[in-house]
Amino acid sequence: MLNKIWAGLIILGLLFATGQDIQDEITNTYNNGVIHNTPYSYIEHSSNQLSLTLHNVPLSADIKNDQLLHIHLNTNSPINLLKIARANGNKNALIARIISKNDTQLSILLPELHWHKLRSVTEAAFDMAKFAVKLAIGLIGIMALWLGLMQIAEKSGLINHVVKLVQPLLYWLFPNIPKGHPVFGSISMNMAANILGLGNAATPLGIKAMQQLQSLNDNKNTASDEMCMFLALNTSSVQLLPPVTLIALMGTQVSELIIPIILATSCSTITAIVVAKLYSRRCNKQDTTCNS
Amino acid sequence: MQQLSSLILPLLILAIVCYGLIKRIAVYEEFVDGAKDGFNIAVNIIPYLVAMLFAIAIFRASGALDFILLLLTPLADLLNFPAEVITMGVIRPLTGSGSVGVLAELINTHGEDSIIVKIAAVMFGSTETTLYVLAVYFGAVKIKNTSYAVQAGLMADFAGFIAAIIVCLWYFS
Repeated sequence: MLNKIWAGLIILGLLFATGQDIQDEITNTYNNGVIHNTPYSYIEHSSNQLSLTLHNVPLSADIKNDQLLHIHLNTNSPINLLKIARANGNKNALIARIISKNDTQLSILLPELHWHKLRSVTEAAFDMAKFAVKLAIGLIGIMALWLGLMQIAEKSGLINHVVKLVQPLLYWLFPNIPKGHPVFGSISMNMAANILGLGNAATPLGIKAMQQLQSLNDNKNTASDEMCMFLALNTSSVQLLPPVTLIALMGTQVSELIIPIILATSCSTITAIVVAKLYSRRCNKQDTTCNS
Repeated sequence: MQQLSSLILPLLILAIVCYGLIKRIAVYEEFVDGAKDGFNIAVNIIPYLVAMLFAIAIFRASGALDFILLLLTPLADLLNFPAEVITMGVIRPLTGSGSVGVLAELINTHGEDSIIVKIAAVMFGSTETTLYVLAVYFGAVKIKNTSYAVQAGLMADFAGFIAAIIVCLWYFS
């Protein structure tokens, strides 16, 4: 399933980008090869600065020599001009060729732009690959912090007190884990962090639980039933307090959303549990590992 | 609310350290011992995260999402709920930053009091970035075959979205 979703995202994305590019080629969205005629005037008697109009928008430009025109752009310039400029490596200036020029009229040719969508898609892919590493590296500190605190809480027995509160529920959710196994400590800490809306504590605690689940897993390449259940619980995010990001975005408005959020998240969590239980029953009945 | 959230963390840290001291644990040594795995785990996650995030980036940058929304809008009209919230429903399992962006944009265009923003916010608050969590959690233990975890996660998301729409339309009417 994950293989299909993953490939689907890539294939769908690339096909769609290609489609848009072909449409752009047919309608010539970027006016490739079209000569623009514009009235122009020099700015304050200067010999190389002038103002002109492109796509009905007034712009300023420098004449570099008699053949090249340096058109200045800013964030408010027409979007298509910005795209062309970006594709040519400079988002603040667009270099156009002067075809002809008389006292009032200027004819210019802008650089051509082809396959713009595909280019930006590949660019986004590479940017995201870099960002993924940054994200993972950023996890190191917070990971180390919580793993350290967890170690203290484990050794001091503090976690056992937390576990006792939720033990019956956890034993039902994870029937195949030996009772009293330390993984229950990590799972309950992870759930507590989720419930309290502490996203950046929940991840390290959840990873710790995953590692312990992996130590109980027979097939180290394939997720066990317990891992799937645990992941489903995490993605459906049991929570009583709204996440910090939402508080930041919505401000005080967030307080009236608490009850709807609790209701909705209960639905998604119950669904997660039911679906995971059903799948695990089906897979075990067939006596084969369920392939993704 | 904000105060409660900002109090929990320091109290938790205090409780862990104090309880450790009471139980005569070598707190500093245990902390360092536990923390040493942080680096390895983060590095293990990298390939999984790159794989997942780059595929999502291609999908988002291509504008395929807008097309899907275009297809789903008649359905929303038919079922009588604001089509704008579908954006949140589709993007929430894919990217966390993307869904924050969508929510901010909806707040900008519709205002915090609108039912659209409320539904989107409840969707945001009631589920997680499923594919990211999947990549991080399974990446940390080097699980490649995720079995039925995706199905369970995505179905839970879907149930959460439907619930968010129904609950909000009922609760705020």
